[in-house]
Amino acid sequence: MDLSQYADLFLAESREHVSACNHLLLDWERTPASAEPVSGIFRAVHTVKGMAATMGYARVADLAHRMENLLDRLRKTKGAPGGDLLQLLFRATDLLERSIGLAVAGREKDLDVATLGAELDAAAKRWGAPTGRAGRASRARVSASVPQAPPVEDSATGGRLVSITLRADAALKGGRALLVLRRAQALGAISHLSPPEQAFGAEDFDGHFSFRLDTATPAAAVERALSGAGDVESVSVVEQEAAATARAAEGAAAIVGATAERSRHIRVDLRRLDALMDLIGELVTARGRLNQLAAERRDPAVDDVAIQVSRLTGELQAEIIQARMTPVWQVFDRYPRQVRDLARQLDKQVALRVEGKEIELDRTILDELGDPLVHLLRNAVDHGIETPAERKRRGKPAEGEIVLGAVRERASVAISIADDGRGLDRRRILEKAKQEGLVDAGVETLTDDQLLRVIARPGFSTTEAVTSVSGRGVGLDVAMSKIRALGGTIEVQSEPGRGTTFVMRLPVTLAIVRALIADVGGERYALPLTYVSETVEFGAVPSTTVEGREAMVLRNRVVPLVHLRELLSTGGGTPSARRPVVVLQMGERRTGVVVDGMLGQQEIVVKGFDAPQGTLPVFSGATIMGDGVPALILDAGGLV
Amino acid sequence: MSHSVLVCDDAIFMRTMISDILAQAGFEIVGEAETGAQAVEKYRQLKPDLVTMDIVMPDMGGIDAVREIVKNDPDAKILMCSAMGQQALVVEAIQAGAKDFVVKPFQPSRVLEAVQRVLG
Repeated sequence: MDLSQYADLFLAESREHVSACNHLLLDWERTPASAEPVSGIFRAVHTVKGMAATMGYARVADLAHRMENLLDRLRKTKGAPGGDLLQLLFRATDLLERSIGLAVAGREKDLDVATLGAELDAAAKRWGAPTGRAGRASRARVSASVPQAPPVEDSATGGRLVSITLRADAALKGGRALLVLRRAQALGAISHLSPPEQAFGAEDFDGHFSFRLDTATPAAAVERALSGAGDVESVSVVEQEAAATARAAEGAAAIVGATAERSRHIRVDLRRLDALMDLIGELVTARGRLNQLAAERRDPAVDDVAIQVSRLTGELQAEIIQARMTPVWQVFDRYPRQVRDLARQLDKQVALRVEGKEIELDRTILDELGDPLVHLLRNAVDHGIETPAERKRRGKPAEGEIVLGAVRERASVAISIADDGRGLDRRRILEKAKQEGLVDAGVETLTDDQLLRVIARPGFSTTEAVTSVSGRGVGLDVAMSKIRALGGTIEVQSEPGRGTTFVMRLPVTLAIVRALIADVGGERYALPLTYVSETVEFGAVPSTTVEGREAMVLRNRVVPLVHLRELLSTGGGTPSARRPVVVLQMGERRTGVVVDGMLGQQEIVVKGFDAPQGTLPVFSGATIMGDGVPALILDAGGLV
Repeated sequence: MSHSVLVCDDAIFMRTMISDILAQAGFEIVGEAETGAQAVEKYRQLKPDLVTMDIVMPDMGGIDAVREIVKNDPDAKILMCSAMGQQALVVEAIQAGAKDFVVKPFQPSRVLEAVQRVLG
């Protein structure tokens, strides 16, 4: 049987179980008296063992077996685990995860499970006697292969002495013996069983047993019936009577082929979905071109086809996007463990709570989100959460809490990381910002927005805040640009003594977005609709100046203006006096972008964009328009 | 007529493999269960000719599920799927009413032999 076809399934499912182990270990660490975590871990490890053995990954199965052994004892002794023991289990879980990966990659040889295996064995030894010793006393009797009880019964009862030997290589001989016994019981009454039935449950039952069977069935038929129980090496039936008619052996049941109904879910290689998405992207571009041609032709027949193709493409696209949606827990699930390890390393107590696990995001966005999230979580543990002593001094519980949450908003998903730690040190950050000339010397306080802009500058850090783990600011710029590259935004709220919250808003899907197409100096630019709140006419609303910047007053609120012509230094003739202003909104911030004209809305396929050195940081990607000409996508995050 | 089978295992991997082995031999997989409780419920609904039952499952293990199923249908044909070293559990399962067992890692021929024995 070709096992390679199951490798992906094995990998995916084993990882889920390893992840479950990590979670349960954390639970166990929190509530050592609870019996549930250890049972759950035992089950997960047990399942991995079974799968690994089936795949022929001997070392993985061996490691899982040793873990299982230890867990089984812990489960039975119901003892609360000490820190060392938990640490050992954490390490074993890590090794198990690594070994699963190596095994699937065909590099099981590189794996050393001996050292940790020995530690697991030693720990198992310390935790109570091995299971299955109950039958030890019966060994002598069993191996003798003769009935322990004297055969006092005479043949007048019709009893015959039946001795069975199971195949040496039979697995779980006790179970097999019991099946043989059940078959015998169907033929007649049984007595003088040796060893007794309880011994069948012992690990060291060796597969020899005997009993008296009171039956009228001929010996040959008894032999045949009992041999049919599977894994039977020999059956001897001692009796005087001659064999009578043989019963027909069980006929092999005719098996007709049938299409089996299978589970409604299948697993699909992510690359397939990516390829499909790319193709849909091409199709959407081609559809745009078709629509344009149809509009030029003014032929009703062509129009009809174009409309139909449009509709079908739209439906297809929606289906693919849906198929790519992945619940956030697939990425979030590994964080509780990481946060725990990090907190330990820093001598802090931190619990990570995850909310909104089922919220879905496009797989690609979710994958890309991993690094920024890790960065922010590290920051929260390292700088946000105080030491237990400091927390107690401030009247807080010794254990800090970080909440990682996902919430679905209109066309985006908001992911927040909130810690209940000390909050950002505004005074120090302001000082630093002034020193570096980031803000005017006269500024008294920093708003949350300004705060973020300051701490997210490359290389920014307050001296006090740098540790081996992370420096607040160091790398935040990297995390932010990643979020921005995904078309997302990031905000921060911080309150001294109460904690810091970072909120990231991300588009639900990345590949295809609706965008406003604007004309600036004869070139087309795309503005993703997610961030467009409205459009107004330039000059139709009162304008003003704020801190030397041009702005307009929109419903009593001042909205700064950006002239794209100036920003992009485009040529082109004099723009008309009546120009549209596209108002972009991101969280609470708004900016009016002045363009030359609006060309309409359309769906665009977002293509990655490696900006050449010196490009203004206001583009998030590029797209191909219906006529095959590329256009740049403006990044709302860079403009607002 | 092909025999209907209910496959009970908490691992999709195992369910897939058992289903593949049995489907290739012409059995009809009519349902799958991930927990003992589900197994009991699906048995009631589907009345399959055969059940393959993992021993270690969350939310009611395989042995309790066997007890529950046999209580309602003493003729239920249940094949236990066991790992090496689960002697005591297998014995308990048979005492509870399981008809046979196979040991992981599965060899298709052995699984089919056991199935034949159970269906007799």
